[in-house]
Amino acid sequence: MLQKLVRKKEFRSAIALFFASLFFTVGVSACSGPSVKSTKVDASSAAVQRSNAVDPAITLKEVIQRGEVKIAVPDDFPPFGSIDAEMNVRGYDIDVAGLVAKGIGVKLQLVPVIGNYRIPFLQTKRVDMVISSLGRNKDREKIISFSIPYAPFYSGIYGGADLKAADYAGLSGHTVGVTQGALEDLELTKNLTEGKIEGVTVKRFANNSLTASALVSRQVELIATGNVVANKLIRNNPDNRIQQKFVMKNSPCHVGLRQGDVQLLEKVNSILTNARQSGELDKLSKKWFGEPLGDLPMA
Amino acid sequence: MGDDFTLGRIVLNLLIATKWTIILSLIAFVVGGIVGFLVMMMRISPIKPVQFLSWLYVEFFQGTPLLLQLFLAFFGTSVVFGINLSPLAAATLALTVFTSSFLADIWRSAIEVLPKGQWEAASVLGLNYFQQLRFVILPQAVKLAIAPTVGFLVQVIKGTSLASVIGFTELSRAAAQINNVTLQPLLVFSIAGVIYFLLCYPLSLWSQRIEQRLT
Repeated sequence: MLQKLVRKKEFRSAIALFFASLFFTVGVSACSGPSVKSTKVDASSAAVQRSNAVDPAITLKEVIQRGEVKIAVPDDFPPFGSIDAEMNVRGYDIDVAGLVAKGIGVKLQLVPVIGNYRIPFLQTKRVDMVISSLGRNKDREKIISFSIPYAPFYSGIYGGADLKAADYAGLSGHTVGVTQGALEDLELTKNLTEGKIEGVTVKRFANNSLTASALVSRQVELIATGNVVANKLIRNNPDNRIQQKFVMKNSPCHVGLRQGDVQLLEKVNSILTNARQSGELDKLSKKWFGEPLGDLPMA
Repeated sequence: MGDDFTLGRIVLNLLIATKWTIILSLIAFVVGGIVGFLVMMMRISPIKPVQFLSWLYVEFFQGTPLLLQLFLAFFGTSVVFGINLSPLAAATLALTVFTSSFLADIWRSAIEVLPKGQWEAASVLGLNYFQQLRFVILPQAVKLAIAPTVGFLVQVIKGTSLASVIGFTELSRAAAQINNVTLQPLLVFSIAGVIYFLLCYPLSLWSQRIEQRLT
């Protein structure tokens, strides 16, 4: 019966079509690696750069003429940006956006943007700048320009008050919890291997909440996590007397602007510098992060 | 911060966000329906080039994900044509091409399944092509097309949740935002699920009633 089926021409062509489409799909998905993505991004940035290369003041002029500046902010990342009971967005980034708008002398239009699309919204001129816990790295530097830092964002080692660990070597003989695959995980692993530090038990958890609970429930003695998660943890668990042991990596937040927007960048930088010197930024930091601004790098 | 979010507040905020889900769904139904009808007419046309164009349209937009179509409409047009479509325009464009390509095919199949004799008898009666469609073919095809059409429209209602990437705070996005603040995913997403159900179920009930009335 099977032989009769296989002999039928339609059956054979159906099987051939199936395998052809299978190989095609696998081939296409295998070949479309990161190189394809970055080419697309570069093409769009090149187009934007062409239009901006004409006039370094163009966006600032447009903003002042419009009387309004459009700023991309987060709405799903407390305390940088989240919603309140009336579904209005509020947070550290929103307050900083307010400072920038006031400094330029125009009205503020907040545009809540999902994390992945902050840079595309900027590149397609739907927003004039991005104030959304944007970190600086080499890939992004190729496409957009960054202001001076305006918010602290660092990863560090946190643990109970009675434990002493001043650097990576001090972790020896302790258990450290970390969120798997996070920046803190990569940083911790890299430093432990390069420093050839022995005797550290690293426990990896699926997400930030689990890592945080592990410290509170004393499953681990220390955790490596970002300051945002840590501060929330410290605030919610005053009895555990959690404190920071040392900073692993500093990756402060910058305001993102299109490349070539030289005058707007200078304006934003001067607004942020004033806010730092006047103590305005420090006040916001205490309000949203529960700690003073501290040593924010100058660039 | 999370204490202001009483149960009543959560439900209210989700219901307010549902307005965008409903608006986007209606746009998809109406505009997508009209374009889908035109595409279907082209698809069953005896003129070969017209039929080919319509086949190309249907195959392309059925074969690409709605999310991709939203990106192309919103970001793609900015990069390629230099035009910035508003979120509403981009969502309308993407939902229309998506809905019309599927509806065109559903309606085409409902027409093609009718016996050739119906067309021939209608032409013998002296009716021209459009009159044949209007008085003989389409009334019969409607009955066959109701169930798959409504089934697809329910998918479209759920598909509007993708529009959140281009800036609509519709039901799914609002639920995600509220969850980020209240950290009660089971509660928040269950309420959102109930609201989606309340949007979709009446459609299915209504389609059953129409089918019964036509038989």
